[in-house]
Amino acid sequence: MSSAPRWLAMATLVTLVAGCSGTKTDPDQVRQNVRLVDATPAAAGPLAEANWLIAKEPSTVDLDLDAANSQSDLVMANVCERLLQLRPDLTSKPHLASAYKWATPDTLVFTLRTDVTFHSGKPMTADDVVWSMRRHAADGAAESDEYVNVTSIGRTGPAEVTVKLKQPDALFLQAMAGDAGVVLERAAVEAQGDKYGTPRGKDACSGPFTLDTWASGDRVVLSKAPDYWDKAKAAKTGRITFRWAEDDAIVNSLVTGSADGAYLENLAAATRLASGGTTTISQGPDTRVWNLMATERGALADARLRKALALAINRDGINRAAMAGLGQPAKEPVGPGAWGYEKAVFQSAYDSLPGSPVPPDVEAAKKLVGEVGPTEPIVVASDGTPIRDVIANALVDAAGKIGLQASITQIPPQQYGEYLIKPDLRKQADLFADDYYISKNDPVGFYKNGSSKSSVNWVFKDPEYDELVPKARAAIDDAERAGIATDMARRWADGMPWISLVQSPSTVALSTKVTGVPASGCYRYYPWAADLGAKGS
Amino acid sequence: MTVLLRPAGTRPAWLYRICAGILVITVAAAVFAPIVAPYEPSAADFAALWQPPSLEHWLGTDHLGRDILSRVIHGAQPSLLGAIALLAFATVLGVLIGVVAAWKRGWVDTVLARITDVMFAFPGLLFVVLVIAVFGRGPATAVIGMGLAFAPVIAKFTRAVALEELARPYVDAYRLQGVGGVELCLRYVVPNLLPTLAGYLVVLFGDGLMSLAALNFLGFGAQPPSSEWGLMVEESRAGVIQGYLAPAIIPGLAIAIVVVATNVVGVRLSDKLAVRP
Repeated sequence: MSSAPRWLAMATLVTLVAGCSGTKTDPDQVRQNVRLVDATPAAAGPLAEANWLIAKEPSTVDLDLDAANSQSDLVMANVCERLLQLRPDLTSKPHLASAYKWATPDTLVFTLRTDVTFHSGKPMTADDVVWSMRRHAADGAAESDEYVNVTSIGRTGPAEVTVKLKQPDALFLQAMAGDAGVVLERAAVEAQGDKYGTPRGKDACSGPFTLDTWASGDRVVLSKAPDYWDKAKAAKTGRITFRWAEDDAIVNSLVTGSADGAYLENLAAATRLASGGTTTISQGPDTRVWNLMATERGALADARLRKALALAINRDGINRAAMAGLGQPAKEPVGPGAWGYEKAVFQSAYDSLPGSPVPPDVEAAKKLVGEVGPTEPIVVASDGTPIRDVIANALVDAAGKIGLQASITQIPPQQYGEYLIKPDLRKQADLFADDYYISKNDPVGFYKNGSSKSSVNWVFKDPEYDELVPKARAAIDDAERAGIATDMARRWADGMPWISLVQSPSTVALSTKVTGVPASGCYRYYPWAADLGAKGS
Repeated sequence: MTVLLRPAGTRPAWLYRICAGILVITVAAAVFAPIVAPYEPSAADFAALWQPPSLEHWLGTDHLGRDILSRVIHGAQPSLLGAIALLAFATVLGVLIGVVAAWKRGWVDTVLARITDVMFAFPGLLFVVLVIAVFGRGPATAVIGMGLAFAPVIAKFTRAVALEELARPYVDAYRLQGVGGVELCLRYVVPNLLPTLAGYLVVLFGDGLMSLAALNFLGFGAQPPSSEWGLMVEESRAGVIQGYLAPAIIPGLAIAIVVVATNVVGVRLSDKLAVRP
């Protein structure tokens, strides 16, 4: 080898090794740069066009289909509207319904706005509302569980819809701010037939944006609705283009200015964006928590083992390893974004829940394992994504420290989510690492999952708990419902069907040129893009 | 990966010795990993995430606080074994096709040549995807899938050297003695091809290692918590956006160094082994 190539090779090697030290982001500095707010500062002016990045392509834009994913919600929140609206502070208020009242304890009457028009230009009618609600309630519809107590939905006036229930249901009302409350134009949906919800279809909604283009595999484009009925809340941005990308591409696109914003699923991506000069990071409250969900496979049939693992697992380590310290260790499966009322009661109840998320209490965990005696090896599932891998490894680490055997099984990402509906898949592992969030600002919206009949609880069976679920739903009075909810939280923690790990605040990254969107978890149901606009000078 | 080098006769001996030394060290690391690695490779330490190189962790730690040096040492085993298995599978298939084509000639040769041409036309990744669709993902399916992609390369090479071998006088002598075709090929022809093949396979080894690492990076082969080098690069990719480059670069360097070393050693060996009387 002549001397020139030799030196070139050596220089390359030295550069690579030197590069290993990289430009590391200081987690403390990152946390200081993150704004904790419900919404980013209001936009000062309009924006002609914006580019927004999402984690993956929406699977459908028909929100009644089970296939609708969180990306479908994120995009369509700007196109479709609900009877009630979830606000950036995670409270809800009447929206397409101008008012509602409990006419009797089991009869809910919605008074509809008369000035709402769909994107077709036709006015919203009570018949559209009734048809939409029945569509949501139909067997197999994604939101049908919200209608479990509904016995009839009917038009009782030109602008009035009455819902009769088997019992009073506080959750039903809150569900009207989520996908269960979306109002569709019946004629537009029916005219499209099978095309509705697909890239070949159009929207049938009334929101501040219309679905302009869905080029499958490439982009989704929303355009400002030209005749949006609520002039005061018309979109500030003329056109918003959604593209999907991996975390590193999202970071690079935001840093280089080729994208204007993204709601981040991987909080670790926020570290580079919070320390760069061209982007800002804001975090807001959310209900989302990462958990390990115990299955009926058998190795963790004894609740004491689940509690032991909950005591031994290093939540702070998971937070630092997977979320760059931007999450919060949690001992409850629903985040404080759900505390939409009686916050002090819920905070106090949370503080008094057994166990401490930080630091791990290995000795107490060992004691519990000792009480149980001989155990089967534990299998924890991951799909290879960074956060699930971190959680799975943390579980194996915790199990080893308290004398339990544990191993990781990899399930392809395309199949992973099916564990919720496929018992055969659940037989492959005792624990599945996953996140969970709810649309309601009410812990009861989560704790109903502790029922023996719940489709996401496979190990916790408590008849007394089962009795609390309908009671909580029926408690229209907030204070009474909060009391029942905290009782449910205590019983859930005692039965521990899931091991709660880390709260994941809602996190939005914005270019320094734009602002206005909410930072809280409302973006899945609130028309956040309508608030997006140019920053003032 | 193809490395362009000067003709063997003009290549300095020190380069060959260094590369051979690297391969010896790598093989030794793979064999004695449990003894020489300072830590258990999949032991997470949440108190030591993303540590820079230090006396405790010579190459630092990754996103789970695992010792990178220990993972690279242990990773030599699945990385090298995977490439060996891939070449073994491809060699059995390729030699079979090559020798049969050279022995039979005529329409058999033509058909086998077209089959290998068709196999050449498809990217290796396609074979892997097909095998995974049938058998599911994992190291074995990655090896079989990529082995199918390597087999035609070896078949073409084998056919060429087998044609030369079959033209030698000893082959006619055995035929006249009544030795059957299968016995002649298996007992006399193939053993005589092995030195030439061995040199070629050493050159291909680097290619195999690289291809498998790429498959593991894509998630088709080894699965966590394996410390296979390609998988290590993939697992550490998330850290790059936070500025932690070492956990991704170090296993990448290990792959590059071993691939270059096998190419240098392979070319030298093939030159030596291909010498015929």
